[in-house]
Amino acid sequence: MAGAVPTYKLEFPYKRSLGPIVGAFLTGLRDRQVLGIRSAAGRVLVPPLEFDPETGEENLEWTRVGEAGVVRGFSWVEEPLPKHPLDRPFAWVLVQLDGADTNLVHVLDADSRAAVEIGMRVRIRWASETRGHMSDIACFEPEAG
Amino acid sequence: MRDVAIVSFSQLRGDPEGGVPEVLMLVPVVLEAIEKSGVPRKQIGFTCSGSCDYLTGAPFAFVQNLAATGAWPPISESHLEMDGAWALQEAWVRLQHGDIDTALVFASGRPSNSDLREVLCLQLDPYYLMPLWPDYISLAALQAQALLARTGHTEKDLAEIVVRARRAALSNPNAEISGEFTASELLQAPYVSSPLRAHDCPPISDGAAAMVLVAGDRARDLCERPAWIRGIDHRIDAQYPGVRDLSVSPSARLAGEHAGVGRGPVEVAELAAAFSHEELILREALGLGDEVLVNPSGGALCSNPMVATGLIRIGEAFRQIHEQGRERVLAHASSGPCLQQNLVCVLEAD
Amino acid sequence: MAGSEPVSFMQQMVSLEYKLRASPVAVDFARRLCAGTITGHACPECGLVYTPPSGFCSICVVPTNTREHEVEIADRGTVTAFTIVNPIQYRGQKEREVYAVASILLDGASGTIGQQRLGDVDLDRVRMGMRVEAVWLPEEKRKDSAAMGAGLASAIHHWRPVDEPDTPLEEFAEHII
Repeated sequence: MAGAVPTYKLEFPYKRSLGPIVGAFLTGLRDRQVLGIRSAAGRVLVPPLEFDPETGEENLEWTRVGEAGVVRGFSWVEEPLPKHPLDRPFAWVLVQLDGADTNLVHVLDADSRAAVEIGMRVRIRWASETRGHMSDIACFEPEAG
Repeated sequence: MRDVAIVSFSQLRGDPEGGVPEVLMLVPVVLEAIEKSGVPRKQIGFTCSGSCDYLTGAPFAFVQNLAATGAWPPISESHLEMDGAWALQEAWVRLQHGDIDTALVFASGRPSNSDLREVLCLQLDPYYLMPLWPDYISLAALQAQALLARTGHTEKDLAEIVVRARRAALSNPNAEISGEFTASELLQAPYVSSPLRAHDCPPISDGAAAMVLVAGDRARDLCERPAWIRGIDHRIDAQYPGVRDLSVSPSARLAGEHAGVGRGPVEVAELAAAFSHEELILREALGLGDEVLVNPSGGALCSNPMVATGLIRIGEAFRQIHEQGRERVLAHASSGPCLQQNLVCVLEAD
Repeated sequence: MAGSEPVSFMQQMVSLEYKLRASPVAVDFARRLCAGTITGHACPECGLVYTPPSGFCSICVVPTNTREHEVEIADRGTVTAFTIVNPIQYRGQKEREVYAVASILLDGASGTIGQQRLGDVDLDRVRMGMRVEAVWLPEEKRKDSAAMGAGLASAIHHWRPVDEPDTPLEEFAEHII
């Protein structure tokens, strides 16, 4: 008795409250700027967290960081999954934006795995419409020149 | 601290047809663990279980699983949406209260019902990570790449770990994958997410496991060679992968220190290293040298029933003491992306 | 939409697909149901009869998954509890009219079946202890879903009152929830 196994779908439509830190960061993305948060020790966290993960410290100070940065880690995906941000081969990247001390997890639109390396400069490609969401950063792309 | 021992362990590999409900996977496992323990079912003082409703695909699925214990008249029990290793830790804490002597711990998972690469995104932070749907293999790959970049280990080193694990799994009837392979043939496969190939990733397995814990001298009366829990600890790293050095595991190191791993020689370590590179990170964090036999069961690389995997590592460690005559064995469980949470348990013979 | 108001909420749609794999016990039950018979499993230790069966006794923890455990259950029984539903109209709601659902203790079973639709009855007359019987779907309309282990509603359209004296409360007092 061959045949496809039937399936069912579970759906959870959430509306999430963002709070003062995540909300401000995503508001920044909507306005096409990237905000980080500076800890007392001077470490700039991007994306910002509500407390310093090393010290637990709150009351941090906002700072704006660059739209470009350096690839600190990557993984090349030859066959994207349906829900991945890009529908062609791409790299997951850890990007340290200029002025930040931590890495942002996002995707890099590059021609091939050979075109990606640790230390390369990349820049944000903004979505054509921004709305206050991680996908306002459509992806990163290699910095020209 | 009250001395608590594992006196029995039972495990089941999920049915490949996948039609058996989770509770029916658990019934034979729970019954066998109880029977081997010698504790009458109705006398068990506390029951603690681990499973994940998102894996099962039904809200409150864990409640049905309780029926496998015959929970009438009502029993004292607790459930975690986590690996059963954490249920074992809760049961161990409960036994420290001193008013009861026995506990049943069980876990079950059937990830084959869904696409883990989507479902496991739900364990990520919902604001910054989840909207990108970074699958668990890609996140692991970022960690693997960080490790290779820092240490100079190669993809061949990772393949050698897989070769050793699959060979060890030949003697494990519960292993999903086993056999003789060579690193060079494995390395011919394409990447899933670089630098990880399919062999570096765990198989999708269904399974269930159960064990009985007994406190004090009663454990010696019931069991020929019980495995005493002489140290157990759980630590967590920051969740967002971009704020920490992925090539190391401070939480595993801390858990190992607090569980007292270094207080004596370790003969065998059963590590929940679901990806090949995780074994290298954990060996380093736990200070395990070449003299330590790692994952003689084949480990999670050869069979990985999500949320039962960690409890099975502890069960395999119990077997090393109970059946193989070892004196001091380490078991490890993990949860979250990139080894974010780590539990370390040290078992000793009398 | 570069508004000036701060962003304070985020929509998140989680949509996951799961395989539906029927258990052999449920498939057996559904096949017999399509053929017009309700079945249950009797525990060899305590004698309790479960319908629909789950394949084991959840009190004794004894498997009941072979033919010898199977018993036939009547398609009539007693309403042990009920509720009258005025359906609120939300997205996806299919009910429009007020209706009654009940827990029914079938003759020959040790526990009730829940969420059963009552019909052919004046809603003011629905009561605990009322005797009811199954109104089966015509055989050709019984959903061809036996292989998926479908439940009672795939073959039974509703339950209607029968002209019998009510069951006294003391005979079903343990089954009212």
